Amino acid sequence: MLHPAIRHLFRTSLVIACSAHVGLSMANETIKLGLSVPLSGSGAPWGVGAEWLCRKAASEIAESGGVKVKGQVVNFECVTYDNKYNAAEGAKVAQALVNKDDVKFVAGSIGTAPVRALQSLTERKGVLLFTTAWGASIKGTNYPLTFTQMNTTIEIAGPLTGFIAKAHPIKTVALLNPNDATGQETEKTARKAWEAAGVKVVSSDWYERGSSEFQPVAAKLSALKPDGIDLCSTPPADAGLVFKELAGLGWNGVKIVEVGTGASGLIATGGNAAQGVYLGAAVSLDGPTVTAHQRALDDGVRKATGDSINAVQIGIYDAVYALKAAMERAQSTEPADVAKAMSSVTFTSFYGNKSGFGGKAVYGTPQQMMLPVIVTQLKDGKLVEVARIASGEQR
Amino acid sequence: MQTLLQLFFTALQIGAVYILFALGLTLIFGVLRIVNFAHGQFFTLSALIVSVAVPWFANGGSPVWLAYTLACLCGVIVTSALGALVYEVGFKRVERDMTGSFILSAGFVLMIEGVFTKLFGGIVRPVPPLVDGNIDVFGISVAAQRLVLCGVAAALTLLLTLALGGTRFGKALRAVSIDHQAAMLQGISYRRIGFGGFVAATAIGAVAGALIAPVAAVSPTLGDAYLVKGFIAVVIGGMGSVPGAILGGLFIAFVESFVGFYFDPSVASLAIFVLVMAVLLVRPKGLLGHE
Repeated sequence: MLHPAIRHLFRTSLVIACSAHVGLSMANETIKLGLSVPLSGSGAPWGVGAEWLCRKAASEIAESGGVKVKGQVVNFECVTYDNKYNAAEGAKVAQALVNKDDVKFVAGSIGTAPVRALQSLTERKGVLLFTTAWGASIKGTNYPLTFTQMNTTIEIAGPLTGFIAKAHPIKTVALLNPNDATGQETEKTARKAWEAAGVKVVSSDWYERGSSEFQPVAAKLSALKPDGIDLCSTPPADAGLVFKELAGLGWNGVKIVEVGTGASGLIATGGNAAQGVYLGAAVSLDGPTVTAHQRALDDGVRKATGDSINAVQIGIYDAVYALKAAMERAQSTEPADVAKAMSSVTFTSFYGNKSGFGGKAVYGTPQQMMLPVIVTQLKDGKLVEVARIASGEQR
Repeated sequence: MQTLLQLFFTALQIGAVYILFALGLTLIFGVLRIVNFAHGQFFTLSALIVSVAVPWFANGGSPVWLAYTLACLCGVIVTSALGALVYEVGFKRVERDMTGSFILSAGFVLMIEGVFTKLFGGIVRPVPPLVDGNIDVFGISVAAQRLVLCGVAAALTLLLTLALGGTRFGKALRAVSIDHQAAMLQGISYRRIGFGGFVAATAIGAVAGALIAPVAAVSPTLGDAYLVKGFIAVVIGGMGSVPGAILGGLFIAFVESFVGFYFDPSVASLAIFVLVMAVLLVRPKGLLGHE
């Protein structure tokens, strides 16, 4: 039997300890942000850079005081899995993120096929999902928790094809896409956009993602003698191989990669044949208006991936800040509340402009992050911005 | 006519790598009666080592041809060492066990690919070509690097055929692949031949990887697509048959070249699978397979 004074001291200590624990719990909460991205294969630059930028955004937010929700400070922790840009791995990643790690927010997902596998779980389980997936069918009123974090081919195709059709006297174009969900969605939109720009699509071909042999299709494309060849959603490394084969066959028309995101992958496999390629989703940070912060992020991504920062990766960075803004607007960390607030928030995007979510006219609900379309071209081994076209709603 | 000639040369160029890849696979199956899915990883490792070593040697002052030669040698030696290790810790215990080797090699694929991604990163690595530019052959434009690849593949295939027919080791390999028990009764050490055959097959795969590096997207997943095509080549030609592997490799290459041109690469991939199913229905052991 303890002495009464000791019992009293023990009780008091216990109360103080519990209060301190509760106080600490109220002071900080860490929310996991899931990422389903390719960390291997030709899509790896996107995924590795996305992971780095997610961590960077999370640490910037933590350093600036965190996310303030109902008197609590919320910080973010990024959890990443390799979806290998295919549906089978995407399904495994979905299970890992949603069921094993109990993630409530997915800050980034790359690849339409793995994203479809993920979305089938996130919408059912009430998980908010950010995605770079192209398809119009990936969002809408049936998917209230899904938001797109970069310009898709719907936003890029029109401005890009219009710009190129004005800059070059092209009358015909041939398309080549990977034969998967991403490629199929992109092809439909690209075809419409070229036809709207007055350019005839003379052929539309498909290849299996993972191939390394592009000689036969290059021979076919070259034989058609199109004025331009649009490789649409072909990853940079594959696009470089195609242009290299085309150059060897003597074709020298206008080269376009609508979803082209960076120069290094193109140059790594294409060499000099990649010169002059137009890209629709790349970012050039060599101009005079680039900020020190943008350069620092670019440097970080270059160290991590060996390539400059691109729109796919930036989408993850912007998504983390969008989540912060929406959580503070909703004063809640529940995915449904945050999703409701997302349509009305504004935040400063990587590009320096105020961004928010729009696209109601196209998708039925405002689930598309509003960003400028940046047209770049590879000149003397460097990416040069040749046009910046604001989205319709931003204008 | 020009188009047909172009497609014919394209098929030969594509087929060169498939033949080398399939030769390694068929050698392993012929000797050990096992399926080795990790062969794609040996092919990939050699390409990755070349992608690292060529710039390293070139920056050290070596001329391109020497840097490339040394890098290829490094790739083949390191890959062969890995093959020896994989055999000793794994495949030695599942000789002539198809199911066991299937499961073991699938496990090796996951493990080795993960290690490659950690060591080399997932990004595509640039490899400068040994020979740049195109050469005119009968009015057809052919990449010089690919001509080198074809030449080396042809020479290696000839060397292997001569070695299998003319050397003690080659004859022992053939004896074991025909009837391993009879070979053992003749005094041939099955374990030693198994090890030697596995390492030789790995080295052939490594040579293929080193040669394809300058014209492919070199990353830890490079071997995946070649593994599928390599297996199809072996299945069509007949598992364990060297002439069959050559025939199978050329068959796939010609389908890929011609169907890829007249339709597209996706249709070509589909056509390859349909044709292999047709071959298996008519000749389950492959066109030149052993009984």
